[in-house]
Amino acid sequence: MKRNLYLPFSALLAVLMSPASAMAADADEYVAALEKAQSQICEAATRVQLWNTSEALLEEAAEAAAKGNFDEGIKLANEAALHAELAVATAVREKKNWHLYVPK
Amino acid sequence: MKKLIVACFLTVMMASAHATPEQDRLALRAFFQERFPKLDLNEMINGLYAFDEGAREQWLEMEDFPPYEIAIEEGEEAFNKPFANGKTYADCFANGGMGVKQDFPYFDVGTGEIITMEYAINKCRTDNDEEPLPWLVGELAQIAAYMAYTSRGNKMNVVIPDDPRALAAYEAGKEYYYTRRGQLEFACENCHMQSAGMMLRADRLSGMLGQATHWPVYRSKWGEIGTIQKRFQECNSQVRAKPYEAQSQEYRQLEYFLSYMSNGMELNGPASRR
Repeated sequence: MKRNLYLPFSALLAVLMSPASAMAADADEYVAALEKAQSQICEAATRVQLWNTSEALLEEAAEAAAKGNFDEGIKLANEAALHAELAVATAVREKKNWHLYVPK
Repeated sequence: MKKLIVACFLTVMMASAHATPEQDRLALRAFFQERFPKLDLNEMINGLYAFDEGAREQWLEMEDFPPYEIAIEEGEEAFNKPFANGKTYADCFANGGMGVKQDFPYFDVGTGEIITMEYAINKCRTDNDEEPLPWLVGELAQIAAYMAYTSRGNKMNVVIPDDPRALAAYEAGKEYYYTRRGQLEFACENCHMQSAGMMLRADRLSGMLGQATHWPVYRSKWGEIGTIQKRFQECNSQVRAKPYEAQSQEYRQLEYFLSYMSNGMELNGPASRR
């Protein structure tokens, strides 16, 4: 009898955790992620030479969003921003090290 | 003892931080001579063909009927065609533009800018109320090919005047060459010094010495003649870096440094490459 009481709760939990019922991102969230990524990329571009992947990822994000797949759009926008951040990290490291490769 | 260590450290730092362009050039030649003891360094104006006998034979056969020949002819025609105001390109260059490629790029002490030959060609146009030409291929590259052709056999003679801005531009170009970039984190140096003469997939890599002597180049993969800065953009893309605009400050500084490193080497442009 005790076991039966748990059943409705576990069923509800399973439904809530299923992908179909997960809270999908909406257009506003995508636009916010996109704007944040664009801002980070622009800022990085003033400091270093970007990877050529950042803008390509933003284009892929826009394509996903145009199909209504805002989760994918946000994921790709975040990745684009990450690539800009990594380009800056490389440049910072190289600023210290480049001269080591120069023949003396 | 402590003072001695500090003095040694400072000496090493001073030596590396304040190498003159000429010291850089000589160190680079020594690097390649040590790397390829049997190679006549002057052969490096031929790029990968300095290292690969089989490819060199094929290339020499191609040179019997070079694919850039039409570009030279079209470049000559465009060079001599008067602008609407009656002036020509010859009016913009020393010696009428003939046999002057060895002096490019140069540092213009008036404007503080690096002037590449392509930059000078387009400046000549805009100074004469003509529209500038696209930078990378087409008529501009053809005119540059013709001017390079008239300079064949001359020795590269890039000058860094006694001006801190010129030295800064040279140093910026040098830093660019040795800095890793792009998602693949490659510097120009990784391919053209560390791996010079080695295979990268199906292609053998050229060395840095002489890399500036033979432009513009007809590349089979392009199917047309193009400028050195088109190649810069291509290299950047290959290492997944976002290329700069042609004739950007970064690329002009890079070309300045790269050309200085080829000083004293014979000009042999235009050339053909795979």
